[in-house]
Amino acid sequence: EDKDRGASADLAVVEHRRRLYDEWVQWRQNVLDDIKMEKQELNLPEDPLEGLIKNTSDEENQIIE
Amino acid sequence: MRPILLQGHERALTQIRYSRDGDLLFSTAKDQHICAWYAHNGERLGTYHGHQGALWTVDPNPQTTLIASGAADNTVRLWNIQTGKCLKVWDFDTAVKRVEFNEDGSKLLAVTEQRMGFLGTIVVLDVNQDVDGEQNGEKVLTIQCDESKATVAGWSYLSKYIVAGHENGSVSQYDAKSGEQLDNVQVHDMDIASQVTDLQWSADRTYFITASKDKTAKLINAENLVVLKTYVADTPLNSAVITPRKEFVILGGGQAAMDVTTTSTRQGKFEARFYHKIFEEEIGRVRGHFGPLNTVAADPTGKGYASGGEDGYVRVHQFDKGYFDFSYEVERQAKQQQLQQ
Repeated sequence: EDKDRGASADLAVVEHRRRLYDEWVQWRQNVLDDIKMEKQELNLPEDPLEGLIKNTSDEENQIIE
Repeated sequence: MRPILLQGHERALTQIRYSRDGDLLFSTAKDQHICAWYAHNGERLGTYHGHQGALWTVDPNPQTTLIASGAADNTVRLWNIQTGKCLKVWDFDTAVKRVEFNEDGSKLLAVTEQRMGFLGTIVVLDVNQDVDGEQNGEKVLTIQCDESKATVAGWSYLSKYIVAGHENGSVSQYDAKSGEQLDNVQVHDMDIASQVTDLQWSADRTYFITASKDKTAKLINAENLVVLKTYVADTPLNSAVITPRKEFVILGGGQAAMDVTTTSTRQGKFEARFYHKIFEEEIGRVRGHFGPLNTVAADPTGKGYASGGEDGYVRVHQFDKGYFDFSYEVERQAKQQQLQQ
């Protein structure tokens, strides 16, 4: 009986964690979707640095030339 | 996890920051110089001299060409990482406790100390990315903290908000363009010493973690300042960071020497504590420092972390296989399900 009680307690802990985990994954997905939309509306690239880092290497190339 | 010990500072560490690709470390201490290190072997790349007082803060720009620093000499300085040359000095009325670049490196914020006759402020500066270019000396925006001085601050995603942690344990959200305060939430315990001691971002800057003297760290949504998670420790916290790749957070703190009756390192609780970010449970601790941990930083690529102590040491840790293998049953199952789909 004690063993059973322990097992159901474990089960409760695991279920609780599963709920927290699913909640988190869901929230992250929502945030990522929202930001994607916001960036599209503002005409911004996905990665804020993508353009910038390319620019610096272009400049470096020009100097070498 | 064998740490590399970096010996280059003679006084207490105040902040450590990694470069964006995790290969360089920048550290500041009360000994008036900034150190740059190679993260993989601890070799010193250089030091940056010029400040005339304790250094409180440092931040590299995302392109890893410039660092900004703030100090007790009431200045913010901008440095060329490669040459060590100081490119610009901005003067303030009081000490500068925190600097941070926004996500594209075009703007820098500085948090200034409150002192008789001067309110604490958050100031925004424009930064010219060109290391040989002229820098603008003007303060683009000044936010005054009338209620409680800001101790830390940072830029949200899209540089939309400036978020600040205050001495009274509250967190504020400001419009980053107008400086207007949009929200203020008492996230840390108001009844006890609850100063917000650190504020560090998730990789995409949509949420952040605060550390507080009230012995807790909080994970907070940048959009609405809702507290998502709380991590409870048994000692005042000086620093907290979110780890990339694994769903962990690392907390650092410890009772200051003057506040403990015994000098045992165990009593002082000078350990880096790992918590599961989602489940809020403590997973493990890493010992090593002989004094409180003043700053913890995570390698943005997820390969390791570094801590800086009141003892004057920087300890750099590369995570081993056990760290990457560790996961909860629930996480394993979720991964398996994903693979099956």
